Amino acid sequence: MSAAATTTPNKFVVGLWDHEEVYLHAIEHIRHKGIEIYDSLTPFPVHGLEDALGYKETRLHTAGFFFGATGTTLALTFMTWVMTTNYPINFGGKPYWPVPSFIPITFELTVLFAAWGMTLTYLVRNKLWPGRVPRIYDKRTTDDRFALVFDAEKISAQEISDIKSLCTKEGAVEVKDKVFAAGE
Amino acid sequence: MNETFEFTDKLKKQLFIMMGIGLLGLVMVFFLHPHNSHARFWANILANTYYFTGISIFGMFAVSAATLAYGGWHVLVKRILLSLAAFVRVSGFVLVLIVVLGLLNVHTLYDHVKEILHESPVAENHTTKVIFFAPAFWISRLVAYAFLWALFSWAMNKFFARTDQTDPKVYKQSKLLAAAFIVTFAVTESAASWDYIMCLDTHWYSTLFGWYNFASYGCAAWAMTILLVIYLKSKGYLSRVNENHVHDLGKLLFGFSIFWTYLWFDQFMLQWFANIPEETSFWVKRFGEGYFKFTIFGALIINFLFPLFFLIKRSAKRSFKMIGFGSALLIFGHYVDFFNYVFIEPNWNHELQHGHHAKLQTEKVVLYAQHEEHPAAVSDATPAHENKAEVAGEVKHEGAGHEAATEAHGEHGAVGAEAHGEHVAGGHGHEAPVSNFAGIGVGELLVFIGFLGAFLFAFFNNLSKRPIIVENDPYLKENEKLVVTYS
Repeated sequence: MSAAATTTPNKFVVGLWDHEEVYLHAIEHIRHKGIEIYDSLTPFPVHGLEDALGYKETRLHTAGFFFGATGTTLALTFMTWVMTTNYPINFGGKPYWPVPSFIPITFELTVLFAAWGMTLTYLVRNKLWPGRVPRIYDKRTTDDRFALVFDAEKISAQEISDIKSLCTKEGAVEVKDKVFAAGE
Repeated sequence: MNETFEFTDKLKKQLFIMMGIGLLGLVMVFFLHPHNSHARFWANILANTYYFTGISIFGMFAVSAATLAYGGWHVLVKRILLSLAAFVRVSGFVLVLIVVLGLLNVHTLYDHVKEILHESPVAENHTTKVIFFAPAFWISRLVAYAFLWALFSWAMNKFFARTDQTDPKVYKQSKLLAAAFIVTFAVTESAASWDYIMCLDTHWYSTLFGWYNFASYGCAAWAMTILLVIYLKSKGYLSRVNENHVHDLGKLLFGFSIFWTYLWFDQFMLQWFANIPEETSFWVKRFGEGYFKFTIFGALIINFLFPLFFLIKRSAKRSFKMIGFGSALLIFGHYVDFFNYVFIEPNWNHELQHGHHAKLQTEKVVLYAQHEEHPAAVSDATPAHENKAEVAGEVKHEGAGHEAATEAHGEHGAVGAEAHGEHVAGGHGHEAPVSNFAGIGVGELLVFIGFLGAFLFAFFNNLSKRPIIVENDPYLKENEKLVVTYS
């Protein structure tokens, strides 16, 4: 979910909350102060989180429409070519171009293309390819903690301590530094 | 915050005007189309009553399903969904009355069933149908549906308005009530679709017809809910319902539209592919008449292509104007769909006289059954009848067809849908059948408006009796918080 960055930062400040309501309000206040949030991790989908983080609506479904349309076109043209030109056979006394019997296969290919296309796009866009070592900011984000991650690479010590005190003020139960080794 | 809908005199007057328009339409079709025992009049009543009954019972189904699934998304519109069911308390019994009048030979809609019942000896493949449609069994089933629907409509409206919903005991009872209705709905909805609509053409069968009707009800009921939510919001009620809730309803509307298409196509393709005469006769009749070809594909365009390209956009589902327009169109589209099922049979029974054996216009079915003496005509069943797609008033004289029908009876009698009517001695040489063509005319539209008015009257009447939003619902807070916006 991170914004595309030219170089991936290794040094972070992580704030942890234990309640979604407080967390949502904290995000709003922190963003209001002009502080950039690097990432947000929650144990379950939180209603209104995208809005609070200011995310734009995803374009994944638009991509999905075009993947699906590709599948539709491919299935119809291929079957038409086979049944009319390449290998016309008469089955069950149906016409040589039996469109109704194409529909189920067209439907399946549309779904297949849309599903695979969207899944792969999602994985590539989120850098979730096989063999990737995941960066775990805090293990409890899959259990009961709501985390906000701030990029601490290029900001001063003063700003880091400002962020930390702001998090505590906004109800964070824990604030910590997290540094990853280069390449991790 | 505990607002109750006020059923103003102004609104009542408007709805009474709508009902008056419907009455005018009924009078119009009754006197302008008296052929065939006023079949067009009765077909109008049946199609509309059945359609709005379906919307009614789907409202209860939606609440039951969401309750059983521990859903919270529907809580703010729960009373609207339940109030849809108010109409069924009357219409369920009207439907029974229609069938009873049909059996009493007041109208001809169910004459295909009566033919089978009067058959002697009973054809081998009709034995179970004779049992299933034995008047006592048939009518008692219909009465049972009507009573069950009315009972649940009353009970659910009463129960889900209780203010002690957070009491664990009451909460558990709500699950039981919902479960009881789901089971009842599953059985009665499917069986009602066979008993009222599928039997209009008694020989035709579709094993997914109950599902198909369910999907139609679904589209219409979600569309109706969306329109009513938008209307109530415009009147200042339901301030807590925002575009996110309408978006949820819109997604269901879109999903049910695709589901409907899936079943429509399944029904068509399996019968097209299998090519069993009992099944394909249904499509030959419909595609053979140019008008019905038009309404069938018209319904498919409105109910499938339109939602697919229009409602798929997120912004369309969230804009009250766009989703309102789409909902109104889909309500009409599904009316057209039921029109295709109900109206063709009255057109078909050109000469049915009650009290006598049926003299049916059978030439098309004979052609479809591929009578060997007319190879030129049978080579391509569908286009052979395109010239039949004429306007009302055309007199059709099909003497040759009747001869063919009489001959065909010996060979294909058990197969052709209408061939059984030709028991009559002297199937040829009789007077030309009076054309009784009924398309979607002014009469149909007026009657539809009238039934819509009656439906809305029942709806608003029920809605005004209790607060619109039931406070203390355990899921109310969750539903109120539904906010999803992107910058």
